[in-house]
Amino acid sequence: MIPIELAPEFDQCIKCGLCQATCPICKELMLEKYTPRGKIQLARHFGRNDINASDHMRDIYAKCLLCGACAQTCPSGVDLRKVFLGMREQIAGKRGMHPAVEKAVGSVALHRNISNEDNLERAEWSESLQSLPAHFFGKKQAEVVYFVGCVASFFPMVQSIPVNLVQILDRAGVDFSILEGEEWCCGFPLVGAGVPEKMQALIRHNLESVKAMGAKKVVFSCPTCYCTWHEHYHSDLSLYHSTEFLDQLISQGDIALKAINATVAYHDPCDLGRNSGVFEAPRRILKAIPGVTVVELENSRAKSVCCGGGGNLEMVDPGITAAVAQKKLEEIERTGAKIVVTSCQQCVRTIKGRARKRKSDLEVMDLTELVLQAMG
Amino acid sequence: MLSESTKKELHAIVGDGWFLDSIEDLVAYSYDGFLPEFMPEGVILPGTSEEISSIMRLANRERVPVTPRGAGTNICGGSVAKEGGIVMAFHRMNRILEIDSDNMCAVVQPGVVNADLQKTVARQGLFYPPDPASMFVATIGGNVALNAGGPRGVKYGTTKDYLLGLEVVLPTGDIIRTGGKTLKNVTGYDLTRLMCGSEGTLGIITEITLRLIPMPPAKATLQAMFASLDDAAKTVSSIIGSGIVPTTLELIDRVILDVIGNYGGAHFRKDAQALLLIEVDGDPLVVQAQAERIEKFCIDKGATEVARASTPEEADKLWQARRTAFGAVASLRPNCIVEDATVPVKRLPEIIRKIVELAAKHQLKIGVLAHAGDGNLHPLIMTDMRDQDEMERVEKALEEMYEAAIGMGGTLSGEHGIGIAKKRFLKMEFGEPAMNIMKGIKQVFDPNNVLNPGSFL
Repeated sequence: MIPIELAPEFDQCIKCGLCQATCPICKELMLEKYTPRGKIQLARHFGRNDINASDHMRDIYAKCLLCGACAQTCPSGVDLRKVFLGMREQIAGKRGMHPAVEKAVGSVALHRNISNEDNLERAEWSESLQSLPAHFFGKKQAEVVYFVGCVASFFPMVQSIPVNLVQILDRAGVDFSILEGEEWCCGFPLVGAGVPEKMQALIRHNLESVKAMGAKKVVFSCPTCYCTWHEHYHSDLSLYHSTEFLDQLISQGDIALKAINATVAYHDPCDLGRNSGVFEAPRRILKAIPGVTVVELENSRAKSVCCGGGGNLEMVDPGITAAVAQKKLEEIERTGAKIVVTSCQQCVRTIKGRARKRKSDLEVMDLTELVLQAMG
Repeated sequence: MLSESTKKELHAIVGDGWFLDSIEDLVAYSYDGFLPEFMPEGVILPGTSEEISSIMRLANRERVPVTPRGAGTNICGGSVAKEGGIVMAFHRMNRILEIDSDNMCAVVQPGVVNADLQKTVARQGLFYPPDPASMFVATIGGNVALNAGGPRGVKYGTTKDYLLGLEVVLPTGDIIRTGGKTLKNVTGYDLTRLMCGSEGTLGIITEITLRLIPMPPAKATLQAMFASLDDAAKTVSSIIGSGIVPTTLELIDRVILDVIGNYGGAHFRKDAQALLLIEVDGDPLVVQAQAERIEKFCIDKGATEVARASTPEEADKLWQARRTAFGAVASLRPNCIVEDATVPVKRLPEIIRKIVELAAKHQLKIGVLAHAGDGNLHPLIMTDMRDQDEMERVEKALEEMYEAAIGMGGTLSGEHGIGIAKKRFLKMEFGEPAMNIMKGIKQVFDPNNVLNPGSFL
């Protein structure tokens, strides 16, 4: 089967090569096949049946962060991300998915989360809260659902994010609930693995669970879940990233912020910034905290460089993730700020992990942590 | 045909991982920024000049064509394997070897990206001016091979003006050094300059010594709108004629403004038929005075609006729009031919009128973009190569345009090169004796025609 729907994108590529300027992967791997232009041209040849769905091809398309920097740079408007995801799907269909992502995909099928954990443990993080309301944030009915996401639910390094966010929402008087074991993986790992067809059951279940709650709004702390809902979930629900939601609460006066004297650099997560267009909400929140000075990275907003944690790449080649993260760390350190704030659990994990490895004294925070601190 | 035994020898020279012949790798090195594609039989990634020397000895012995390739951003088909053989890429030779601020020069390997060099030397207050639109990707090796220019050419010249010395591996495998760190050097034939712009047909550039200049402390960016393309063109030639030397003087016509209009937030008046993007740099006081003079000049010549970028970000936006014009315009129709004919600057209004006339005559969609200050035109011909009738009209228009440009004392190509893109027109500019000299030079360097065969000669 020729991926006909991708053909207009190949035709649009004029092979100028400018995409290489911003691709974090081809800076590490150099060879043309790993450049966005190379991947588009390989896809074009694949579409003409000049190239098979080889292991080599699978490896080439796996080496991509899906960060979208190339599409942002492309002067011809090629939707590169669509081609790359389309190629992962084609190759998975013909050759099978990349062995490195099988475990996560299997885990989603079996446990409805990427971590091979019992899905009933989804809210385990809440045990670290000193005082819990009787409903444990798991109500029967609520106006707002907080969709925690697999990574923040199960990875200890970032479980502080939901811990912080529920406290903020609670203190702001928001009528919200989490879905606990009824929250299933959003499905992005399946899209990234080239098997998007497997996500339909997840979509249906998640939408039903939110509706059963009677909720009209869904809040996400994970930019990728947020992005995936926008792209793949069709409903009349209002979707908010936590930064957008908190920004509203602050502007309505539902959250009072005390001074924190700190200079912080802000890192735009790819799926929140470039891929969802949310640039200002996190900055407004930072500016709303008295005493906080925000410094911008050399490449910020739509030009922000991926932390290295995107696109399932970490599962395939942690070495590249580390190399990209190292450059991110250096870019942050060049600002002179001792604290970097971001709005994504995956960015926090990747940058913090790298900083620890390099014994850097950089403090890596999710914005929710800073907001909770400022609430006193 | 590349034999298995030659492949083994090539592999032995560079070691594991650096000779590639999988279909995936061959496809990935089968194209550059120009239209036709050619599948190589192998791709080799040498790490040293010595390895390149061994590769060339082998290639010369076995008569295997070798095509050097930087980042593959050229738009003349200079870096594709037109007669098969192997593509040689310089990804591994990408180090800045030395920045010698005492002698105001830098020594680099061919795979260094132009913008990376600019950024690195800028940290020491130094400036490497050549700025092709592809500078964020294109390599210095490729820039030298094609004598790359860019908008700053008006004031600062092109790659050749910053080239002090080279290390070159000849097609036969011999390694030569030309020039050095001195600004002056008249010893023997100027082999350094001969290599510059030779499009990878004479030797493989393995090390480059480049002249640096002090970073100008200030600059100003102006944008002037004109209600007629002709007024804009006339303004250009009279600015230059009056003795002002701006850093850049770019002209963009309405066709192109329409396409790039909203890119990166640059806004253009609806009644403008042409825009001049002008930059001046130097001492702050001089910059201020020059900017004022140019502003007045534009208004006197009929500009409907002259604005100055008030922040570096604003100036960046204007430049970003200009740099991406090619890609943005190219995406409108299946193919885009970016032309490069160049005339003495005084003839600019004339050649632009000619292009507008040719577009109408041959019913073609042509946008005019020009590094106008040095007479370097980049008309963009938006076309569809599958349409044979239209391609015949394109060919006629090109021929008439070159005839006009050469007739005005101009040239086929200001900065993009000949490669396979304009090979067929070369005789318009050179007579038999000059062609014979070029062929003779090629023969001396490359007796067996193994280096980038199929390029312009």
